[in-house]
Amino acid sequence: MNAFLKIAVLCSFSVYAWSSEVKLEKVTLENDVPAIERGAETLMNACHSCHGMKYIKYRDLLTFGMNKQKVDGWRADQSLDAPLLAQMSENDAMLAFAKVPPDLSLMTKARDGGVNYLYSYLLGYYTTAEGVTGNHIFPETKMPDPLGISGAATPEQRTEIQGQARDIVSFLAWAADPHEAERIRLGYYVIAYLLALTTLLYFVKKQIWSRLK
Amino acid sequence: MPSRIIEWIDQRFPLTSFVKHDLTDYPTPRNLSYWWNFGFLAGIVLVLQVATGIFLAMHYKADVAVSFDSIQHIMRDVNYGWLLRYMHATGASAFFFVIFIHMARTLYYGSYRAPRELLWWTGQGLLLLLMATAFMGYLLPWGQMSFWGATVITNLFRATPFIGDQVVIWLRGDYTVGDATLTRFFALHYLFPFLIIGGVLIHLVALHSVKSSNPSGIDLAAKDNIPFHPYFTIKDLYGLGVFLIVYSVFVFFMPDSLIEPANNIPANPMQTPNHIVPEWYFLPFYAILRSVPNMVGGVVAMGLSVMMFAFMPFLDRSRIPGGARYRPLYRLQYYLFLLDMLVLGYVGYVHPTDQTILVGQIATLCYFASFFFVPFISKMEERWLIKRGLPAEVVTLMKSESLEIEKRKLKHSRHNGVKS
Repeated sequence: MNAFLKIAVLCSFSVYAWSSEVKLEKVTLENDVPAIERGAETLMNACHSCHGMKYIKYRDLLTFGMNKQKVDGWRADQSLDAPLLAQMSENDAMLAFAKVPPDLSLMTKARDGGVNYLYSYLLGYYTTAEGVTGNHIFPETKMPDPLGISGAATPEQRTEIQGQARDIVSFLAWAADPHEAERIRLGYYVIAYLLALTTLLYFVKKQIWSRLK
Repeated sequence: MPSRIIEWIDQRFPLTSFVKHDLTDYPTPRNLSYWWNFGFLAGIVLVLQVATGIFLAMHYKADVAVSFDSIQHIMRDVNYGWLLRYMHATGASAFFFVIFIHMARTLYYGSYRAPRELLWWTGQGLLLLLMATAFMGYLLPWGQMSFWGATVITNLFRATPFIGDQVVIWLRGDYTVGDATLTRFFALHYLFPFLIIGGVLIHLVALHSVKSSNPSGIDLAAKDNIPFHPYFTIKDLYGLGVFLIVYSVFVFFMPDSLIEPANNIPANPMQTPNHIVPEWYFLPFYAILRSVPNMVGGVVAMGLSVMMFAFMPFLDRSRIPGGARYRPLYRLQYYLFLLDMLVLGYVGYVHPTDQTILVGQIATLCYFASFFFVPFISKMEERWLIKRGLPAEVVTLMKSESLEIEKRKLKHSRHNGVKS
C-alpha cells in the first residue's frame, strides 16, 4: 500500500512537472462567418457524436449567419430552439469511456492556455512504435484522435488537419463568447468617448485650479 | 421660487448648511496629490457594483442545479447581460485595487496618526466587510473554483476552539458546501453592500470631523485650505475619467483575464481541481495561511495579517510628520513591505513546492516583523533625525502639530467639564 502511494505521488508529480513543461502551439483564429461555419461543420462530423454544446441552440447558428440548409441538415427533426446535445447518450458514453465527454460550450475558456491549449491538444496525438496512440498535451485523455493527426502520412495531410483544428477552435471560441465581436466594437466607442471626456475634464481642472494663483 | 423652496426645506432640514459644511465650504488642503483620489474612486466603484449587482440579481438564480446555467443565460441571452456581468466581475477586482492604493497612501503618508485613528479603524472595518462580500459573491457562479474556494475557506472555521465543527456546519447550513450555502451566500451578498454603504457614511462623518490629512503630515493653517467644491470635485472627476479608461480596457478587451479558467467548469464536489487559488486580492493572505504548518496557527496568522494595519497608530511612535516623506527609514521599510506583499502574492499563486513554501515562510516572517519593528525603528529614527537636524519647515510643522494636540486636549477637557 505504501509503495503504491509513493508511486502514485511520484506519478502525479511527474505528470504535473511534465505537463507544465509542454509547449503549446500558438494559433491565430479567424473570426469570420465562413471559417466559423467550417469549424461547426468539422465539429458536427468529428466531435458532435460524443460532445454536446448545451448553451448553443441551432437558432444561434442561423442568427450568426450560417447556411440554413447546413443547419437544417445538422438538426434533422429537432427544433431550431433545441441545444446542440451530443448524439450519444450519457449512459452509452459511460459504458464506452467510463466518463461523460465534457460539454464544449465553454471549452476555450475552461482550460489554462485557452484556444492554444485546444489547438495543441487536437494536434497532440501521436502513435508509438507499438501502435498505441497517445497525446502530448493531455496524456490521460480518453478521447480517440478525432482528426486523425497521428495517422497523417504526408505534410499536405498535416496541413489540412491543422486547418481543420484551427476552424474547430475558431468555432469553439465563438461559442464560448458569442458577444465578443460586439463587446470589442462597443469597447472602442467607450474608450474613445472616455478619452475625449477625460481630456476635457483635464482642461476644466486646469482652468479651475488656475484661479488659485 | 427655487430659493423659496430651499428656504422652506431649510426650516425643516439642514440642507443648505449640510451642502456648505460638507461640499462648497468644506476645507480641503490644497496640496493633496492624486493619491488622495482613491477614496472617491472607491465610492464610485461601490455604486457601480451595487447598480450592476441589482440588475444581475434580476436574472441570476441561486440554486445549485441552475446557477451555473443562469450565469450563461445572463452572458448569452439577457440584453447586455455580458456587459453587466463583466462590469461586476471586473468591478470586484477594481474595488480591491482602489482600496489597496487608498490604504497604501494612508500608510505612506502616516494618515492613520492622531487624530485620524477612528477614520483608519472604520476603514479597516470596511475592508473586512469588502472581503466578506467578495468572498461570498465568488461562490455564486457555482464554478469549480467557487465551490472549492468556499469549501477551503469555510473549513478554516474548524480552527474555532471547542465548537469548530459546529461553526463550520452553521456557516454552510449543511455538512458540505451545497444549496443551503449558496442561497445564504446570495442573501448575504445582497445585504453586505448596504452595510458597506452604512460604514462608508460613518467613515465620511469621521473624515469630515478630522478633515483630510495631506502630504506634509500636519494640519495646514486655514489659508492653505481650499473649498472642496469646485477644486476637488473637478480633480476627482478627472481622476475618475482616467480610472474608467483603465477599467473599460479590462471590461471590454480582457474581461476573462481576471476569471480563473477552472471557474468556467460547473462545480463538481467529486473532483478537486489540482490547484485551488483564490482571487488575486486574497493571494498574500492566502500565502500566509499556507506558510504556517499548523492549521490553527495558519488561520490566526491570516486573520492577524489583515488586522495588523489597525495597530499602526500605536506602533508608529515617531512624532515626525509627513509619514515616509521626511523619514528615510520608514520609507525604506514601506517599500520593503510592498515588495514583501508582492512576494507573498506570488507564493500564494503558484503550486506549492519546497522552495516556494520556504520563500513564503520567510516572507510571512518579514510581514509580521515589519510591523513588530515599527515602534523601535520609528523611535530610533526620530532620535537620529532630530540629532542630525530636521529641515526648518519640518520643525515648524512639528511645533504647530503639538500645539494643535494641546489645544484639542484643552478643548476636550473643557467640553467634559461643562457636561459634568
